[in-house]
Parts: sequence; structure tokens; C-alpha cells
Amino acid sequence: MATARGSGAGIPGRGAAGPRSAPSGSKWRLVCACVCVCAPGTMPGVLPGDSARASPSKKNRLSLKLFQKKEAKRVLDFVEAQENEAKGAELRGAEIDQVVPAAQPPSLVSCEKKDNMLPFVGLNNLGNTCYLNSILQVLYFCPGFKTGVKHLYNIISKKRESLKDEGEQKAEKGSCKEDPLASYELICSLHSLILSVEQLQASFLLNPEKYTDELATQPRRLLNTLRELNPMYEGYLQHDAQEVLQCILGNIQESCQLLKKEELNKLPVEEPAAKLEEKPNQNSESNGSVSPAEEEDPTLSRHGGDAAKEKLLKANGKRKSDAEGGNAKKKSKVSKEQIAPEENQRQTRSKRKATGEKMENQTDAIAKCSGDSESAKPTQKKSRLRLNWLKSSCRQPSILSKFYSLGKLTTNLGSKEPGKEYDCEFEESAVKCENGDSKEEYHEPASPVESHHGKGTEKEPKKEGTELAVFELVEKLFQGQLVLRTRCLECECFTERREDFQDISVPVQEDELSKSEESSEKPKTEMKTLKWAISQFASVERIVGEDKYFCENCHHYTEAERSLLFDKMPEVITIHLKCFAASGLEFDCYGGLSKINTPLLTPLRLSLEEWSTRPTNDTYGLFAVVMHSGITISSGHYTASVKVTDLQSLELDRGNFLPEPGYAALQPEPLTEEEARAVAEDYDDGEVSFRLSGAAPPGKVLSKKNMEAVGLLGGQKSKADCELCASKQANPEKLLSVAPEPRGEPSAQPRAEQGEPPGLGANGLENKALYVLQSLKEYEGKWLLFDDSEVKVTEEKDFLNSLSPTSSSTSTPYLLFYKKIVE
Amino acid sequence: MVSYVIRDEVEKYNRNGVNALQLDPALNRLFTAGRDSIIRIWSVNQHKQDPYIASMEHHTDWVNDIVLCCNGKTLISASSDTTVKVWNAHKGFCMSTLRTHKDYVKALAYAKDKELVASAGLDRQIFLWDVNTLTALTASNNTVTTSSLSGNKDSIYSLAMNQMGTVIVSGSTEKVLRVWDPRTCAKLMKLKGHTDNVKALLLNRDGTQMELDRSADPPPALWVATTKSSVNKWTLKGIHNFRASGDYDNDCTNPIPPLCTQPDQVIKGGASIIQCHILNDKRHILTKDTNNNVAYWDVLKACKVEDLGKVDFEEEIKKRFKMVYVPNWFSVDLKTGMLTITLDESDCFAAWVSAKDAGFSSPDGSDPKLNLGGLLLQALLEYWPRTHTNPMDEEENEINHVNGEQENRVQKGNGYFQVPPHTPVIFGEAGGRTLFRLLCRDSGGETESMLLNETVPQWVIDITVDKNMPKFNKIPFYLQPHSSSGAKTLKKDRLSASDMLQVRKVMEHVYEKIINLDNESQTTSSSNNEKAGEQEKEEDIAVLAEEKIELLCQDQVLDPNMDLRTVKHFIWKSGGDLTLHYRQKST
Repeated sequence: MATARGSGAGIPGRGAAGPRSAPSGSKWRLVCACVCVCAPGTMPGVLPGDSARASPSKKNRLSLKLFQKKEAKRVLDFVEAQENEAKGAELRGAEIDQVVPAAQPPSLVSCEKKDNMLPFVGLNNLGNTCYLNSILQVLYFCPGFKTGVKHLYNIISKKRESLKDEGEQKAEKGSCKEDPLASYELICSLHSLILSVEQLQASFLLNPEKYTDELATQPRRLLNTLRELNPMYEGYLQHDAQEVLQCILGNIQESCQLLKKEELNKLPVEEPAAKLEEKPNQNSESNGSVSPAEEEDPTLSRHGGDAAKEKLLKANGKRKSDAEGGNAKKKSKVSKEQIAPEENQRQTRSKRKATGEKMENQTDAIAKCSGDSESAKPTQKKSRLRLNWLKSSCRQPSILSKFYSLGKLTTNLGSKEPGKEYDCEFEESAVKCENGDSKEEYHEPASPVESHHGKGTEKEPKKEGTELAVFELVEKLFQGQLVLRTRCLECECFTERREDFQDISVPVQEDELSKSEESSEKPKTEMKTLKWAISQFASVERIVGEDKYFCENCHHYTEAERSLLFDKMPEVITIHLKCFAASGLEFDCYGGLSKINTPLLTPLRLSLEEWSTRPTNDTYGLFAVVMHSGITISSGHYTASVKVTDLQSLELDRGNFLPEPGYAALQPEPLTEEEARAVAEDYDDGEVSFRLSGAAPPGKVLSKKNMEAVGLLGGQKSKADCELCASKQANPEKLLSVAPEPRGEPSAQPRAEQGEPPGLGANGLENKALYVLQSLKEYEGKWLLFDDSEVKVTEEKDFLNSLSPTSSSTSTPYLLFYKKIVE
Repeated sequence: MVSYVIRDEVEKYNRNGVNALQLDPALNRLFTAGRDSIIRIWSVNQHKQDPYIASMEHHTDWVNDIVLCCNGKTLISASSDTTVKVWNAHKGFCMSTLRTHKDYVKALAYAKDKELVASAGLDRQIFLWDVNTLTALTASNNTVTTSSLSGNKDSIYSLAMNQMGTVIVSGSTEKVLRVWDPRTCAKLMKLKGHTDNVKALLLNRDGTQMELDRSADPPPALWVATTKSSVNKWTLKGIHNFRASGDYDNDCTNPIPPLCTQPDQVIKGGASIIQCHILNDKRHILTKDTNNNVAYWDVLKACKVEDLGKVDFEEEIKKRFKMVYVPNWFSVDLKTGMLTITLDESDCFAAWVSAKDAGFSSPDGSDPKLNLGGLLLQALLEYWPRTHTNPMDEEENEINHVNGEQENRVQKGNGYFQVPPHTPVIFGEAGGRTLFRLLCRDSGGETESMLLNETVPQWVIDITVDKNMPKFNKIPFYLQPHSSSGAKTLKKDRLSASDMLQVRKVMEHVYEKIINLDNESQTTSSSNNEKAGEQEKEEDIAVLAEEKIELLCQDQVLDPNMDLRTVKHFIWKSGGDLTLHYRQKST
């Protein structure tokens, strides 16, 4: 498997990591790509296929059998089942709601009895997908992420409905109506995964006796989406956890931009059909073009991004100089003269020399300065030159990753001005919906749920309208801004260039060069701390000696200091440890890279004030770590450790969820029919056959159908429920006829239907939420180790031990996640 | 690299920021040194109308520090040209140059009791100099021993030594003050605590305290220099508890309310050029200075052509735009606040122009091609005897029958123009370090002439002494009939011509070699008669060609006066070889 990656898909994979690390790494010569391998025991596709097309009844039986066998590893169906069960319970009236609280005490007891079972849901390994699983677990526990995804999903499903209406009105547009939704597929997948995890957890807490082995679900749909997004993830190769994180975040960011844009368009006028048509195409185009580009030549896509950026900056005169960040520009003298004089001079001496040489190639020079110098060729050249510059200046943030540049591009597209306009307009529209939550509070558990359902929750997130902030999910949560500041040591003037980042890549080891330079000062054996690593990342670089900085103020080559400072900090700081160093083995197929197992002293609390542009009291607490075990970069295994904190807020999410099933039952079609069909095929192949009973009519494959099915599985609570579900399952056709009903209706109707039950059920739901909360309380402050489907709990000190240098040598932290601590 | 500075013969005012001041109380003289590379001597006698006394010019880059030693007899200066120079402060000439530093020399320190001077710079080195030895240096006895203090890991920006010469402290970007004993060159200690570059230091007499507090004995007056070019004298009389902050050029950080608001005396500074634009003819430059005055300069004649006053710089650039393309052949540098033009081997000879275009007429009315860089080098070295040696024989002959004066000049220089004799010419290493600086007119001197022999690079010798003119730049291009002419496309011959060939000449070629050939082949038998008129025809060819045909590039009809490089630059605009199309004029 490893070799396959090395020669085939692996190259794009590593290549993709290249540009990100290159700027930061030229001095360090470290590469960030980290690949995982897992025990191939759980190769997907093995189990599902055969039974897939069997008759419905058979399938049912099979699934039941599986269930009875507690084949928990293939548990997704059960998850869905639980989902349904929970929903069914809510939906179907007071009876159930009364039952549920009643069931609590015993379940709690039983839960305590089985101490090997934890009320946390693992993710099955679908074949080397631990890179994905570990990241998903972390995301799940990122404060505000779940809510954000739910909120986005809500918006998407509304859009879907409106699209559908439109689609019906205009039949000829049938072909394009899926496209926009396809680009939101990742959010939908995440949403369904979050739902299934939450439901599985809730179900377990309520009925622990049903589970004996382990709680786990399969992120299959998400994996499939990921593969659509980036063919790199096809097959069952090992991949880099950080890359997949960036891929996911990048996609969410992109989708958010699209959503926002569409939201904008919707507001002033009724969304014109023509625009609708265009946008989808754009989406698919950008999706299509970007990901292959990343695959084949990540630098290329970066150039594109850079070029676009550069153009933007050009257009934006005042930032022009900033953008250069000092000596970034190397130009031929010819073009120098053609272009505004302020650009002329930022060169170091050697670069100036280089210019002279370049002059010899007259045609080139001419080409460069020709015209308005905006032709593609010069632009690209410039950006390439800039790249070189970045390399030469050694320590750069890793923020220029492919996805970063992708995100940047979209940012540019959805320029800020419309956003502002929108703000105002939106405010107006928000007046309509009663109590608009403040937009900054997007991460608060502002439930997307309709007000009816909101009654059960403490927060009463009644708002129906969308909040702008939700579109900034990734930006607010993960994206910060760095300032690259170049200060002339002579006149102390400085120029600044700002760059967004979603993670920071820090070294874990002193690199050979600087080691030899500073060998006298510090003993080499000294343990490096994270602080040291960050200071390496943000360290001050001096531009001295032969290659001085051309200060525009002094009109002279002067010494300068270039430093990286944090300007804006996100809620969650992702620190990527560059555990890989050049091993010097040229013939190594991984470019002579080997893994460094030297650990870094990792603090539980972190302050970045030292490297910030302004004083700040923000402290960050370590809440998740993705570990990589393995001694080479070509293979290994990822696990995620997550600290159970802020249960209150987690449970609020949960609280939102619990009373939600009616709503969820309305929402669940994440896909339009065609899409569903397409996904269904993929999706089901890894599932237990049981699923397929519902899948036979392609439209209703997903949650809804399964929810119906779940009713059966969990149906011990209420007879009526049980019957209902049973009948549905027994008779797929009937199921079909039933299923479309809620889905087809506009959301208002089901809501009306539920109007009563929620009122009745409010108590029960609250109790349930409270109960769930309480049963999770005991884990507060502990660390959960997610090893695919396996979940273990450790005390903090034990966890720290596992991070600590003295313990296992091949298992090292790879990604550290710190979240802002609210004092 | 060969550079020269375009400036007035006497630069009376500080052109740029002033970096260092020294007062000679005995003679009431103030020495200023700054970024314009010139050390100036001023009279601080307030009643004098014009305080300027003299300039000490030898540095080629910022002067960063000066100290006055030997009771005001000797001045030592440190410069970004990497040298330390020893001056006779009374007479104002440079006695010797110390080249031990490898990077900008930023700071000097002086121990009065021992006449010991230390210099330090960005090369992290500190050198100790015995002033008495330095002043004894001559051109023949020019070796000096120095001790160096090592240990600095970063560039040194400040240096202080106590009066007794027992302690020396360096401040650097390392954020550590390092302390030595200059007598033994032993490291004494490191002082930590600073969080940024230490740019100024002062020690008390016995070196026991870092002295930043002068309250005990305030001086009667304080001279303050800033990055502006003027220097102010602030009276301190009657002010008690005076505290001066350590760094003299950053007084805005001091929260103490201003003690005086008006300076007692001002040594006015001049304006420094802060912006420049090279015009397309690659000969003239527009500049803007700190007073927003715009000026128009001639690089060839190394002089200002016109003061344009406070006009809009960008407007002026637009106004003077000409659609002509001449390759770059020099670069401009504003570090001293004056125009420094640098010629580099790589592109110095890139620019050829026709004498007529350049406004130079030759006596015989011909229009020779001139190489701007070549001519300029010849002009810069026109007083250097070696450049006259070769044509000496001819010169003698010609002087006999032709007007001596006129002919003499032609033989010496380039025959077309001269640069002002006071123009400083600087020979430098490729990296930028100065090797030798002299005034244009001094190259005839014996010492200078000898030094030139050692420093003038071969590529300059080639053109100035050996008179080997560089080759013309060739430009490859294709000639094709225009699609509208209906003629079949010819075999794609790659043509080559001087890049300054005028479009007119190409048209003649087309008319003669392509169109006429076609005609001739059609009318071979009947063309005999025309042979008689051939002579006449040749003269008219240009006219005829212009009447009959036109050349196009990128479907744009070309002006016959344009040259090929201009066509390529402004019309062709893309990479690859220039392609021209011809067609017969429609009417």
C-alpha cells in the first residue's frame, strides 16, 4: 500500500503538501505530509456487496441478525436506527416521551455496570481511514463546529427545497439544479455523521444494555464525498491527517462562500433563475478544476491563487507595497521602469544583480514590461519569483497551502463589499425574524431548528433567518491572520504583509544548520518545548550581510528584521508538528525524508502573546491531539485524543438535537434524487445490507428511510412505534409511500403536526438532555482516546504521560489543537 | 562597477539625514556627517552669515559616525562604504583609509586619554586603532596593526569606550551588551536586558556606569541632528535637571515636555532626492526632492538640465513620455540624496543611439551610431592619460593642420560631450564595496593615474584605452507579406539587423529586394532601359518605398522613423521574434 502511494496517488498527495511546507521549510527541510496505515482488517467493500441486492425481507433479517450478534463494528445502520428511534419517540407523542425518562435510571445503572463501554462514539476504519477518523473526532469536539455545521446544513436544506420548487416550475432546468447542492455535499455528509454520532451516543446512554461491544459509526458518506472532492482519497491508501483537515476545512469554507453569495443574491430580489444556473456551473467548475490541479501540480494551483491575489492587490493600490513584503519582487530593470517607481527599489543586492543578468534576455524583458504588464505570463513569472523568495527566506508560515490559496481565491470572488452590503440588508431582514442572535455568536448553540422545537432547549434559539456569521464558520473557528513584518534596522520603518492561516507548522527539532551555528550556546540534548517551536516558526529573521534589504525609506540597502506575528487568532489554534526531516537518503522514495520521533514538551495551556501584534490575555487550552504512531513517514497509524471539556456547551448542542427529531425527520434528505441515487450506490456498498431495504427506491436512501427502519430497531419503547416501523420495514412499498410524505411536504406542515408533541414532550426532552448531560459529566476533564472504533478514557496525567518524551518513541503528537479559554 | 555622482561642485548643505556631530570648542567648529557621504565643517559663530566652511569628501556612502581626536586635529569617520577614514580636521583632507571592515562601519568610540579609537560595524567586528599611528600613515607607509575584539554574534550598531580606555561596550541587534577590556582584548561581561537593537551608548569616565544622565554638568548647548538634513542648536543655559535621552535622533519618545521650542541656531540643510524616474530615452531623469521640487537631469552630461519647481511629478513623467525604446544601460541610486549613476559591465553597452537622435552633430554631417555607456566612460576618464596614449600619433599630426583646441578635446574625450570635471567617479567591486573614488578632473594626477591602473576594470579599459567599441545589438525578425496583399507567404527567413535600424530601412529593403524583384522577374526583357536611371533611382528609393509600401506589426502601420527595438517594445510586445508584415499602399 505504501508503495502504491509512493508511486501513484501518493505523489500528488505529497506534492500537495509540498507547497505548504516549502515556504516554511526550506531552511528546515521538513515536510509535513504524514501518512497513516491501519490494520487492513477492516477493508470495506468486503461485506456489503453480496447481500446488497437481496430481497428486502432477507435484508431485514440479515440486519436483525447482525444486530443480535452485536456486530457493532458495522454499526452505522444501528446508528441510523437509533436516530430514528429517538425521533420516532419524539414524534410519536407523549407516550414515548414518558417512557423515555422512565427508562433512564436503569440505563444509567447498566451503563455504570459496563465500564468497558464508554458513551462516546468511535468511527470505524474503512480501510486506512484513521487519518480521517482522527480528524473527524477532533472536529466533532471543536467548540462550535457541530452547531455551525448543523446551521449550515439547515440553510442548505432550505435552499434545496426552494430549488426543488423552482425546478418543478422550470422543468428545463432540471439538469443543473443539483450542482449547487453537490458542492455542499461535504457539509451534508458531516451533518449526517454528526447526527449519527449524537444519536448513537444518546441511544447508548438511554439503552446501554443494547450495546456490548463498542460504539462506532462509519464515516462512509463523508469518505465518499471526500473522494469526490479530491480523487487523491480514492482507494484505501494512507494519507496525511493535516491534509485531510485542510481539505475539509477548505471545502467548508468554499461552500460557505457560495452559500453566502447565494444568500446575498436572494435577499434583494427573488433569486433569478438565470443566476442560479450560472452559479452552479461555476461551482462545479471550480470544484472540478481546483482539485485535479492540486492533485497534479499543487504549485500550479498555488500560482493561480497567488496570481489572483497579486492582481487583487494590484487593483487595490494601497496594499501594493505591503504585498511585496519587502524584497519579494525581482524584476528586470526594464519592467522596473515601466512600473510605478515605488515598486522599483525593493530589492536586495543580489537580486539586483540578478536583474542585470536577466537583462541579457532582452525578449524576456520586453515581454515582461510590455503592455500593461498584466498578461498572464508576466504575472505568473512574478508569482514564481515570489515563491523563490519565500523559499529563500527560510521561515515562512505554512499557510500558503493549497487549500489556503483555494480559500483565498474564493474570498476574492466573494469580495468584501457585497458582504458589507449584505450586512445591512440582512439586518433589515433579520428584523422580521423576531430575535436575531448577534452575528458574532455564531458559535453559540444557535439552533437552526424552527421555533417550535426550540422550546425544549434552554437557549431558545428561535431564529429562523440565517446568520451571516455562520458562513464564517471556518474563518472564525480556525482561521487566524499572521503579519509578516519587515523592519529596517536603520530607520525602523516597517512594511507588513498579512496572510491568513488555518494552522501553523512548527519544527520539533533544531535543524542541522542552525544547530551547528549555535552549537556552542545550548546543549543539543535539551528538550525542545512547544514554545521553542513556535518561536522558531515566528522567529525573527535578519536580512544581513551580502543580501541586505532595500529600504524604500532610506533608499539604501540596510539590515532588516523580518518577523512573523499573530494578528488575529482563531478560536482554535491548530499546530502542526513537522515531524519529518531530511534523512539524507537520496534514494528513499519519500524524498529522503524520515520521521522524527523526538517529542516536544507540550503544555496544556498556551499563550501566544509573545508573538502577537498586540497585547492579549487570551490563553488557549489543549483540547485535542492527533497522534501518529509509526517510525516512517510512509506508514503509521493515527489516533485522536480529545479532552472532555465544556460539557455544558456540548450538551447544549445535544439538547438542541434531542428535541429535534421531528425536525430532523423533515430535513433528512440531504440530497436530491439523482444525487441520492449516485451517492446511495457508493454509500451503501460499505453498509450492511439492512440499509438497502430502504435504498431500493433510490430517492429516500438516507436518514429518513433509516429513521423509519430505526424505529424498528429501537422500537422497544412504544408498541405503536414499533408497529409502525415494523410494518414499514416489512413492506418496502409501504415504506415508500410513507416516506415521501413528510419529505415532500413543505416544512411547515410537519411542524404543525409536531406542534403538540413538542409541547407535551418538552419535559421529557429536557429530562433526557439533562440525563445525558449528567451521565457524561463524569468524563469531564478526562481525555478520550479515539482509536478508530475503539474509545478509551484516560486521566489527564496519564494522557500527558503518553505525550511525554519518555514514553513510547514512535507514537508522537502530530497535530495539536488548542482552543481559546473563556475566562 | 563604475559609478558617478551628479552634483554641484560645492555641495554646501547637508543633503540627507545627519548621522553624527562633533564639536571643536577650541575653534568653534561643528563637524557634521551624514547620509550624503560628505563631512562638513561649520562655523558655530552665530554672527556669521554663512556658517559653511568646508566639505570633506571622500566617502562614497553614508557616513555613520565621526570622532574628533588629538584635540581637534584629527577626525576619524566611519562609513557604509565599509571604510574608516582618517582626516586632517583642520585642513579638511583625507589622510588615510582603513579597509579592514567587511560591511558597513556603524560606530566609533574614542578614549581621549589614550588617543585610542575603536570602530565597529555590521561585520560584527570591533577594531582598535591607535590614533597616533593612524595619523602617521602615508601613501608609502600604509600598514597599520590593529587588535580586534571578537565575540559579537550580530551586527554592531553602537559602541562606547570610557575616556581612560579601560572599558569598551558594544550594542548590537543581539540585544546583549558585550563588554571588553581594550587593553587586553579580554571579554569582561555580557549585559542582558535590552529587547531591541541598541543604537546608542555612552560610558562615564571610568567606565563604571553606562552614562545616560548628564544632569551633573549640563553642557551649555546641545546640537541636535535628525534624519532631516538640518542641524539645530538648542540652548541649555538656565535649564536645570537636564536629562538627555540616549539616542539623539528619537526624541519624540521622551514624555518630558519640550524645554525649548525654538532652536538657537540652525544649520540649514538642503533637499535630498527621494524619487526618480528614468525617461524612455534612457538619458534623462526626472527627480523629486524632499521639498517637492522636480528637476530634469541629463545622465550623459552628468548635470541638471532644468529645475521644474513644485510641479506634479507624475504629470511631468507623462508629459515627457516619448515612444522610443532604448535598452537600459545604467542604474540610479538615491542613497546619498543625490543621483548616483552606476554602470555595470553586464548592460553598460546595451544602448546605441543615432547621434542625430541624441542631439549630437558630427562635423561631417553623418549620423554615426553612438554607444551611450561607452561614450560616458570615455568622458568620465577623459583626463586619464592612458586614454590618450593610443591616438597620440594621429593627434600630433592633426594638431599640425587643424584647429588645435577643438581637435584636442575630441581626442581626449569622446568627441561629443563632457561631464563636469568635479564629478566624483567611483570604482567599486561587483558587490558594491568602493575601491577607489576620485574626481573626474583628478585622473590626470600622478597618484590617481597610478591607482586607476590598478582599479579600472578590463571592460572599461577596453573601451577607454583600447577604443574597442562594443558590437551593435542585433535583433532577429521576420518579414512577411501582409495577408491583405494576397501574396503568398514566403519561406520564413529569419532576418537580423541592428536593433536601432529604422523601419524606413526595412521598407527600402522590402521595396528593393522583394517587390522590385517580383517586378523585374515579370519584366526582365523590358527593364534594360531602366538601368540608366538606376543611379537616380537609388537615391529615390527611400522616398519611393515610403510612397509605395507600408510595414505593419500586429496590424499596426509603422512610422518609418521608428526603430526596430521600439517596434518590438511598444508594438510587438510579446516574446518570440518580431514579425513585420509589408503591403503595398492601397492608393
